[in-house]
Amino acid sequence: MKGQSKLNRASQWLALAATVAVGAGLALAFTSPPDALQGNFVRILYLHVPAAWLAFLAFGVTALGSVLWLVTRKPRWDRLAHSSAEIGVVFTAVTLLTGMIWGRPVWGVFWSWGDARMASTALMFFIYVGYLGLRRAIPDPDVRAKRSAVLGAIAVVQIPLVYFSVYLWRGLHQLPSIRPDGPTMDASMLTAFLVNLVAFNLLYVALLSARYRLAFVEQTQPGPVAGTAVTKPRLEGAVDG
Amino acid sequence: MPLVSLSNIVVARSGTTILDGIDLDIESGEIVGVSGSNGSGKTTLLRTMATLVPPNAGNGTVLEARLGTPDIYRVRPLIGLAGHQATLVPELTLGENLRHFARLAGIDQDLVPEVLEVVGLADAAGLAAARCSNGMKRRTDLARLWMSSCRLLLLDEPEAGLDDDAVAIVDALIKRCVARGGGAVVVSHDAGALHGRCSRTREMKDGLLQ
Amino acid sequence: MTSTRQIVEILRRELLIERRAGEVITIVVPFAALALALAPLALPVDTDVLPRIGPALYWLIALLFGLQATMRSASQESEVSELEAMAGVDPAVRFAGRSLAAAVLVFGVLVALAPLMVVLYAPAPVPGWPAIIPSALLLAAGLGMLGVLAGDLTAGLRQRSALAPLLAVPLGVPLLMGSAQGFDYLARGAGILTWTLLLLATDLVLAIVGVVTARHLQEAKL
Repeated sequence: MKGQSKLNRASQWLALAATVAVGAGLALAFTSPPDALQGNFVRILYLHVPAAWLAFLAFGVTALGSVLWLVTRKPRWDRLAHSSAEIGVVFTAVTLLTGMIWGRPVWGVFWSWGDARMASTALMFFIYVGYLGLRRAIPDPDVRAKRSAVLGAIAVVQIPLVYFSVYLWRGLHQLPSIRPDGPTMDASMLTAFLVNLVAFNLLYVALLSARYRLAFVEQTQPGPVAGTAVTKPRLEGAVDG
Repeated sequence: MPLVSLSNIVVARSGTTILDGIDLDIESGEIVGVSGSNGSGKTTLLRTMATLVPPNAGNGTVLEARLGTPDIYRVRPLIGLAGHQATLVPELTLGENLRHFARLAGIDQDLVPEVLEVVGLADAAGLAAARCSNGMKRRTDLARLWMSSCRLLLLDEPEAGLDDDAVAIVDALIKRCVARGGGAVVVSHDAGALHGRCSRTREMKDGLLQ
Repeated sequence: MTSTRQIVEILRRELLIERRAGEVITIVVPFAALALALAPLALPVDTDVLPRIGPALYWLIALLFGLQATMRSASQESEVSELEAMAGVDPAVRFAGRSLAAAVLVFGVLVALAPLMVVLYAPAPVPGWPAIIPSALLLAAGLGMLGVLAGDLTAGLRQRSALAPLLAVPLGVPLLMGSAQGFDYLARGAGILTWTLLLLATDLVLAIVGVVTARHLQEAKL
């Protein structure tokens, strides 16, 4: 029980730290100077770039959890993989949306197939959605863990190939990636970036730990014994003349 | 070494515990009957012994292969499982089904016409499994078991859907297996059907063997 | 019983079932053909874009309906998988046999649709088009394996018919690109080696993952 409250306190501090960091990051995002070429639209990137980084990190953790579960069969890896996937899908959506919001004023279009990274990230989004869809469709926890671990393992080897094939496709026609232009980044912009990056990482860890604990509680509820649900039928008076 | 040795085997599905700590030893030459009401987990127990259902907890060995390890693939051809549903490919004929199984399992295909004779289906060998009655399909299952010299017979409700002649096949199958040093587990909701055949009977209740 | 013989036996069985009661030739191919035929109806009647999009649509429809063909395979049925299991067939061997059978069916779909696409879309002739055949074989192999994996992941689930393609299609993008882009490069006189190598790499990856995870997937029955 003492261990539990220690854990709760640690999570509370983590949540607090994440909130403060995100707040600071947002403040810096709004107060840092506009970019030489993109003007104020560069502010979206303070959200977009860390979100993209986290989408990858979350996916990497899911893949790692999947492989570790296959090797050790310990439920904690399954919970980790699942929790990270849920958070990752949100960050991937944020990445795609902020990319589109940035793209409209800067590139002139919401979506450009010219950016291999965005295209690949969109595909990764669908793979995540499929992973979560598979988990939701399987009622048995053991089968669910097994199958989603296998899917995680397949995805971790296939996704690099997906990215590679899209890059191969774009070849030399790759549009400049989403990042601030200009030869060097101003010190205050760099600070804003780094603070947001740290903030997002803290946010990820805070969300992950909360989701993981929820998954733990969900999975350790005891269930009924099957046969006890069948009783002798009560037929007296049921059949009338 | 016993043919089957189960110790505190737990099997759960979708959060529901079906086997709640099964202990069971089956020695060579034994015929064990398992009775119990619907939903008591008899079929799951049988399928666990057939190595098709990995246990969630507990230790078990079947024909000296530990459950839940890759050893089970080695011993599967020595296990004869006949369940509620016949294990047949619907689009193939009865004869083709048996030949297909023989080829996969490395059994001599020339045994197929013989075993079809034994179970009384020699004239039905050319019928597609999908077109056959349940009784015929189950007899084909028994033919499959007859063909593979199994050391452990696992029979789920062997009398269901079978006429007296076919029931005689089941008895002969069990006798043959036991005579060669094997063992059998017969599951039935009808405790009476078990008494004549089995050396001992146990009842499945609340996920446990009484 | 050697593994090779077991694989061949599984292949034989699947093709026999397809011949007798199969849905690939009678349903999947006609449906794919229909899709190919419908696209022009959705475009303006005087469009000149058909010859250029024909091949692209062909590969896309091959991906989507090829995967459908693999899901129709009878080996997904629980009785059949139990039969194979009790005959002592190793899970990796089962995966190999079923994938091979699925690949043959997919290749059949590719072969059936190609002349139809040429007729309906009148693409510009591509000298040296036989060079795409290795890619087509690799595509069929990849889709076969992907389909078997997606089928196993969703076996016994109610949502299977929609969920399996959702899982397989994004993972199959390298297969689509390897074949479609490869063909496009071929048409423009450029080399297709890189794209063919991409297909080969994808197939190898799928084969290794399929074999390594076969035991885990086969245990995960509902």
